[in-house]
Amino acid sequence: MNETHDLTLELKRLIIDTLELEDITPGDIEPDAPLFGDGLGLDSIDALELGLALQKRYGIKLDAEAEETHRHFASLNTLQSLVETRRVD
Amino acid sequence: MSCAGDSRYDISASPSPSKLPAMLRRRLDGAGRATCEILSALDPDANYPLIHASRHGDATHTLNMLEALAQGDPVSPARFSMSVHNAVLGVHSIAARHYRPMQALGACGHELDALLCEAQGYLMEGHAAVVVVFSEGSVPSAYRGHTQSPEGPCAVGLRLSWGAGKKLVASDIPHPAYPTPLDVIAWLNSEIPHLDGYRRWQLEAG
Repeated sequence: MNETHDLTLELKRLIIDTLELEDITPGDIEPDAPLFGDGLGLDSIDALELGLALQKRYGIKLDAEAEETHRHFASLNTLQSLVETRRVD
Repeated sequence: MSCAGDSRYDISASPSPSKLPAMLRRRLDGAGRATCEILSALDPDANYPLIHASRHGDATHTLNMLEALAQGDPVSPARFSMSVHNAVLGVHSIAARHYRPMQALGACGHELDALLCEAQGYLMEGHAAVVVVFSEGSVPSAYRGHTQSPEGPCAVGLRLSWGAGKKLVASDIPHPAYPTPLDVIAWLNSEIPHLDGYRRWQLEAG
């Protein structure tokens, strides 16, 4: 398993654990599916919780109001790009 | 005021498949989940006013937040969103599309008396029935010895009306007691003849 796959699984587990998605497994999270609304069905509180988790785990600070943040949180793939480029650990 | 008894509902740690959608259920503790199950069972068509009482609420998560604040750590937004006493009723109202009156109570150990008093008010306003739930979650070990609480999570519900059923009668007692949901269950199962709270409650054959 290469580094990209490791990070994919790590982020899936971060989402499941942080957001207490008790009925979801890593295999249920499609890389390109929307995380919020129709796809995984996360809500606005999940967005804040996820932002906090990214800050704690990877040192990434995001502005909750910024349009850019909405784009980063669109799917697992966009989230992974964010972590790959902005992680400070 | 009368009530109907029914002990068919399993509120153990692993109850039967829940009616609560997983995305709503995930933010509730065991007592909160049991409360929603009971509300759905006793008010399946979302017709009646609902009252939920808990002495301590979700004390475990409340303490976690206080500890985080004390250490200068950020508080979980999801936990903060659930840190109001009426959070469980809020989740139920979304899941069950319940748009009638709802009320959350904490009464320093007199929850049952408060529930029955408030229920009587709704009945006097003309509602056909009122559903009340009394629950307690696990109290963190840091609080042991500082307050009374049942051994583990528990919840009990009643549907009250003026109609047929056992009659609920209250009388004054010299020293008030502080019943938990477990005491209420023992009373409803006739394991004890009456229940002492702020007043003494007895069920008489209808």
